Amino acid sequence: MFDTILEILGTLKRNKMRTALTGFAVSWGIFILIVLLGAGNGLMNGFTKSSEGSSFNMVRVSSGWTSMEYDGLKEGRLILFYERDIQYIKEHYSNFVEEIGGEVSGGSGTTSHGQYYTNTYLQGVSPIAQQLYGVKITKGRFLNTTDIKEHRKVAVISSDMVDVLFPNGEEPLGSFIQFDKLMWQVVGIYKSERSNGSEATYVPFETYLAIYPNALQNRRLRITMSIKNLDTEEANDEFEANIRRDMGRIHRFDKTDMNAMWFYNRFKQYLSMLNGSDILSNAIWVIGILTLLGGIVGVSNIMLITVKERTKEFGIRKALGAKPHQILSLIIFESITITTLFGYIGMFCGIGLTEIAAAVLEQQNAGADHVSFADPTVEISTAIAATITLIVAGTLAGFIPAHKATKVKPIEAMRG
Amino acid sequence: MIHLTNVHKTYNNGAPLHVLKGIDLDIEKGEFVSIMGASGSGKSTLLNILGILDNYDKGKYYLAGNLVKNLTESQSAEYRNKLIGFIFQSFNLISFKNAVENVALPLFYQGVSRKQRNIMAMEYLDKLGLKDWANHMPSEMSGGQKQRVAIARALITKPQIILADEPTGALDSKTSVEVMDILKTLHSDEKLTIAVVTHESGVANETDKIIHIKDGMIGQITENYNHDFWKASSSK
Repeated sequence: MFDTILEILGTLKRNKMRTALTGFAVSWGIFILIVLLGAGNGLMNGFTKSSEGSSFNMVRVSSGWTSMEYDGLKEGRLILFYERDIQYIKEHYSNFVEEIGGEVSGGSGTTSHGQYYTNTYLQGVSPIAQQLYGVKITKGRFLNTTDIKEHRKVAVISSDMVDVLFPNGEEPLGSFIQFDKLMWQVVGIYKSERSNGSEATYVPFETYLAIYPNALQNRRLRITMSIKNLDTEEANDEFEANIRRDMGRIHRFDKTDMNAMWFYNRFKQYLSMLNGSDILSNAIWVIGILTLLGGIVGVSNIMLITVKERTKEFGIRKALGAKPHQILSLIIFESITITTLFGYIGMFCGIGLTEIAAAVLEQQNAGADHVSFADPTVEISTAIAATITLIVAGTLAGFIPAHKATKVKPIEAMRG
Repeated sequence: MIHLTNVHKTYNNGAPLHVLKGIDLDIEKGEFVSIMGASGSGKSTLLNILGILDNYDKGKYYLAGNLVKNLTESQSAEYRNKLIGFIFQSFNLISFKNAVENVALPLFYQGVSRKQRNIMAMEYLDKLGLKDWANHMPSEMSGGQKQRVAIARALITKPQIILADEPTGALDSKTSVEVMDILKTLHSDEKLTIAVVTHESGVANETDKIIHIKDGMIGQITENYNHDFWKASSSK
């Protein structure tokens, strides 16, 4: 084996330029493969980081205007949900609904604390709104089930509101703010997402309805829920269709009227994203492997030329006693050496680049609210897969030329 | 050592060419023979068959008691490696290997360790007066030196027969004499069986027996008692 390695190194040394160019093609192929895979991972990691704190099994059901005539009723009717609809879904879909609640947005108005005031609007929500909207609590807590049950007058306000209403460093948690002549106790602060405009002040949904009992006459109730046992897109579609059918029967609209009610299903979005990422990942592998294939074909081509050039040498070797398998292994090992050696160089450079990019991005993304690209590195399993691909490719690249070499008749040497 | 009975060979590249037309030949152990003939007479084809570098179509060929027929490539390689030493007209040294590596190459295919190969190669180079040239590449050597390296390579496996195809064909007359002297010494000192293909009568005259080939058949076999004729005439 050691002799074979020395033979191969000797051959490579004799053809430095050719070896370097062939090796570059292989290095470039594996480099592009690693960088592309890293880029794909970066996109996926960016999405994952952006989704941190949010749950995917969230559904929000909103009502709308009918777009179809139904049962003697004209199109264009506004459909409004009520608390009884929440109760209906809770009772009839208990196999699929984990938690359920309502949500309603009030009109905007002035909120004050002492002499300080700002503009906001109340949003009556259930505790699951935190996961649904990915609300990031920076201090205190979000609303809980006790707040809902006891109709507590508590509020979760934005960090920007804290800056305005508590400019002197007073502790906001436990303090009271005033909205529409009513006092709300601050129990939590969430991280502001908007740079301008009024932001929501989250209050318990039940409390909101207790204070504004006629709110649902002119403001649309949205039903929010976390779901379970719905693992496929088909199951989610069926779940939505069933609720649409039931709500259609209750509120008298056609079950096929897609404008009468709307679903925002994060789980379906998640499934679509997974599907998209699978397509992206496969596309990256295909592009990468095709690029790598270019390098491999280059190696095979060079090995064919090598065999042609070394016909006389192989003839001499055979005349001196070399068996076909010894010639075959010489060529194949040479091919594997080129692909593996330069493949590793390409892989090393690719991993190096992705690691540098990951380090730079980590610094840039620190503290950022939205991350679209993060940690574009590849896993060890991917590196192993690429290594196996390289060795297989090297063997294949060398096989045809090697087989050709074994067919060289020793008599060729006599004629040399 | 070598026994051929009614050996035929036809090349079928295009129009069939019947090159050997029933060769009957015996070369005894320790004989030093030459095979002579005009171009196209079939002497090189005969040497290729003797060296198991080519197959024959019909007849029988025994080498050191073994029937050489329908061998696989691996079997042929093994026979060549263990029984035969080759000397070629154009030396056929591997250009990117130095003298010691070239000489050691046949032992590589016998699985001899690198260290042992190099020791033995040095020993044979020393015998042929090339010890100081061991690490030189073929491109740095004269024709005579290259052929001596080739002879060392042919001898290193201790073969039962040396087959030489026009061994002096690429050498000047002085060097040719030196090479033939080496072969003669090997024959006389080590009792090696040697067969030389040549078209030079001077070379043939250095051997014990001259086998003439004409039109693919053995024409005449001459016992030769005038070994020094060619050397004497070339030195004039």
